[in-house]
Amino acid sequence: MLDIYHVGKTYPNGVRALDGVSLTVNLGEIVVVVGGSGCGKSTLLRLVCGLDAPTDGSIRLDGTLIRAPHEKIGIVFQEPRLLPWLSVARNVGFGLEDRPRPERASRVAAQLARVGLTDKAQVWPRELSGGQAQRVALSRALVTRPEVLLLDEPFSALDAFTRVDLQDHLLDLWADQRPTLLVVTHDVDEAIVLGDRILVMRARPGRVAEEIVIDLPRPRDRQSAAFDFAKRRVLNALDHSLNRGARTGEAETVLDEGAARWW
Amino acid sequence: MTASVDDSPVQVAPRHRLGRWTRPALGLLLPLALAVLWELAVRLGLSNGRLVPPPSVIFTTFSDLWQTGELQAHALTTLWRVAAGFAGGVAAGTVLGALAGYSGLLHRLVDPTLQALRSIPSIAWVPLFILWFGIFEASKIILIAVGVFFPVYLGVMGAVISVDRKIVEVGRVFRLSAFGMIRRILLPAVLPAYVIALRAGLGLGWMFVVAAEFLGASQGLGFLLVDGQQLGKPAQIVAAIVAFAILGKLTDWLIVAATTPLLRWQDVYGAEHQDS
Repeated sequence: MLDIYHVGKTYPNGVRALDGVSLTVNLGEIVVVVGGSGCGKSTLLRLVCGLDAPTDGSIRLDGTLIRAPHEKIGIVFQEPRLLPWLSVARNVGFGLEDRPRPERASRVAAQLARVGLTDKAQVWPRELSGGQAQRVALSRALVTRPEVLLLDEPFSALDAFTRVDLQDHLLDLWADQRPTLLVVTHDVDEAIVLGDRILVMRARPGRVAEEIVIDLPRPRDRQSAAFDFAKRRVLNALDHSLNRGARTGEAETVLDEGAARWW
Repeated sequence: MTASVDDSPVQVAPRHRLGRWTRPALGLLLPLALAVLWELAVRLGLSNGRLVPPPSVIFTTFSDLWQTGELQAHALTTLWRVAAGFAGGVAAGTVLGALAGYSGLLHRLVDPTLQALRSIPSIAWVPLFILWFGIFEASKIILIAVGVFFPVYLGVMGAVISVDRKIVEVGRVFRLSAFGMIRRILLPAVLPAYVIALRAGLGLGWMFVVAAEFLGASQGLGFLLVDGQQLGKPAQIVAAIVAFAILGKLTDWLIVAATTPLLRWQDVYGAEHQDS
């Protein structure tokens, strides 16, 4: 269980990025954080994975205080961040260096097979497409079997088709090991496809404005009326968080891709 | 890249083959033409060729020096001096550069002094080095080492400082130790810049060995240059210059050949040139 308790972060330049954020994520749950830019959602992930330390409050995983990177917490960044001098297979096995070679090899092979990239094992990262590279990054994070996987706008740099593909793929992988997922995104569709719960954050200082439970069964139909309804709730909450009036338009305006993503 | 060649060998191969032979040939055109013209000018009596010997005379001098074994002996002496100075300069430059790049404190401590020293033309040290280390090998090798040191130091320090923070964070997420971070992230990341620094350092090493050998040497290619000047033998000077060019190119090529396998991963514009 991941327990984020009254966490605040003030940067040395005086910016208050997060203020009193509390959140409990149960094992195997998928929580998605959405919010306008500058609402501290990426800061929150950096704190949870131990890259930065909170100025107040605490983050605990199963009772252990998180102040530095922890072996049970993995992260996938917006960019794949593969090491360009390692083959795809060695990138995936990067976190398994302390394991005996045969174990490493078999786990890497299995993981690559799982994401459909067995034929790319010996290739340099530069030869991968954006979607393939992000699948490798996902594999690198998953192969160590983390209890918590953090994803910081993991698919935002990909084209729309690849993005939908990878969202489904992520859910597929999640079903294998059922890690806890904490996902940051600015894509409302993505949030609803993935999340059990959606946290809407507001900026200056970053805090949780609203929590929306999505209890649609998986796999979720992106075209269904229930999906639209959930989407409207999230968009309304976002408008609130940005101090705009509630959305009054028809469902059509809400569905419009531009309107849904324009901030 | 390889894939595209494999996919369409019929279309690509002819252009490729043409490129392979014409490109080096184009580069040779100008020097060859000049050599032939000068040879002709001397043969036809347009010039006596005493101060600027024609290629044939240079070649004869070169092979004479080679057959007596003189050239090899001088070349080996010079090569040894460069190697020793290069090794010392690279070792010091790498260690200090890495430390000044890695630690902000050390950077502030060491870098200003080194930058100040760098602005001194290294040849200016020669009298002092001779006083300190004598006129024999030590002063020469140290002068070369000083010349090699600065490009290596600057290259390594700059490379370490500019390693991508995002990649370093990957290392942190996987909880690498300081040593692991250096071995698995920093070293490979700085390698391309390091190779360039080594090549720049080697170039300066060859430059400084000449300076060192001008100052009281009885062996070495630099001595051949001075000797040729004092005895009025321009062909010997040019032969020594040619030997310098060959050795310089050869040692530079050695660095490139030794490091190319380690840099195949690079996703750079230059890779396309190197492949063809």
